[in-house]
Amino acid sequence: MSEQESAPGGGGPVVYVYGLVPADVEVKEDATGIGSPPRPLKTVTHDDVAALVSEIDPDAPLGSSDDLRTHAAVLDATATVAPVLPLRFGAVLTDTDAVVSELLEPYRDEFHEALEQLEGMVQFVVKGKYVEDAILREVLSDEPEAGRLRDAIRDKPEDATRDERLALGELISRALTGKREQDTRRIVEAVEPVAAAVSAREPTDDEGAGSVAVLISADRAEELDEAVAPLIDDWQGRVDVTVTGPLAAYDFVKTRAPGT
Amino acid sequence: MTMVQGGGGAGGPSSQSLADVVDTILDKGLVIDAYVRLSLVGIELVTIDARVVVASVDTYLRFAEAANRLEISETQPKGLPDMVQDMTSGVAEGKTKGAIEAAGEKVLDFLGGAQDEREKQRRGHSGGGKDR
Repeated sequence: MSEQESAPGGGGPVVYVYGLVPADVEVKEDATGIGSPPRPLKTVTHDDVAALVSEIDPDAPLGSSDDLRTHAAVLDATATVAPVLPLRFGAVLTDTDAVVSELLEPYRDEFHEALEQLEGMVQFVVKGKYVEDAILREVLSDEPEAGRLRDAIRDKPEDATRDERLALGELISRALTGKREQDTRRIVEAVEPVAAAVSAREPTDDEGAGSVAVLISADRAEELDEAVAPLIDDWQGRVDVTVTGPLAAYDFVKTRAPGT
Repeated sequence: MTMVQGGGGAGGPSSQSLADVVDTILDKGLVIDAYVRLSLVGIELVTIDARVVVASVDTYLRFAEAANRLEISETQPKGLPDMVQDMTSGVAEGKTKGAIEAAGEKVLDFLGGAQDEREKQRRGHSGGGKDR
């Protein structure tokens, strides 16, 4: 495989942007970004803001699991040492001049202000996942109709009971939606006292009990564990709770409205 | 001054599942299109939105089958909570893997659509915002 900078026909490398940081952030010499082979991670600076970037080959499709993990890892590692405004995956500009003239220069004030607000802050995500058997038992005991439908499909071939199965599944799904709303609220209430800000995510998984992003001062991070502990105890065997982080503040950066 | 190290190195602070990473970095964060117009490079994205569609027919049938199976296990002594947890984490891994495989398979279908979507979005900006 060639290490040449320019790909034939596709022009030279282009610039992948991870996020925005204060200009005094420096990147370790051996740090690398996404792509294969990965190229060095760098900053492009204008005034007191900078973009965290690395060059990539314009012809290579993006989005392998390594790419996704690296994007997240670069930003999350940065967030532990400096404020960072994370960009959504896939931001690619033509060259470093464009990074300055089209991104850093025009929006310098906006980025500067947002970075100041994030100073000392990190994000965690508190996520609950239903323990399937336990939550199904709960639904079946809550809803007599579900028990009736379950008896109707028992030991019968799938094809012959499709209508009942759909009705039962829909009933369970609806019941879970209600539980999910309640349980998401419980997570929010549990973390609110220690959080600088809280943002509940939309459900992305039908076994999810709730997913809540928490912005918290980095030096108070242990307090989050304490805040979540009673919930973990309460939900033992019903909901598995995971706390992920520290992460970059993905859920707390606000994209400017188009045209403003 | 602060030193930043890359993602390739000694591993980030978190050991997130790929599904969690996808939920975060494809769904959250600043959207570059809102800032930059001229110099955007439309690179092929081989990533799909791996989100599970909640409340589909497949989901209903899966729930029903799970409830059906539950009947059998109910007659057996109830497992310890951590045994139950082991089982579900197995299920979770299987599902995550499924989503990733699907992502690989759907690459080609997605590429055309994604590119079109981006084009539309960019043009759409001048004529008033649209949120998607």
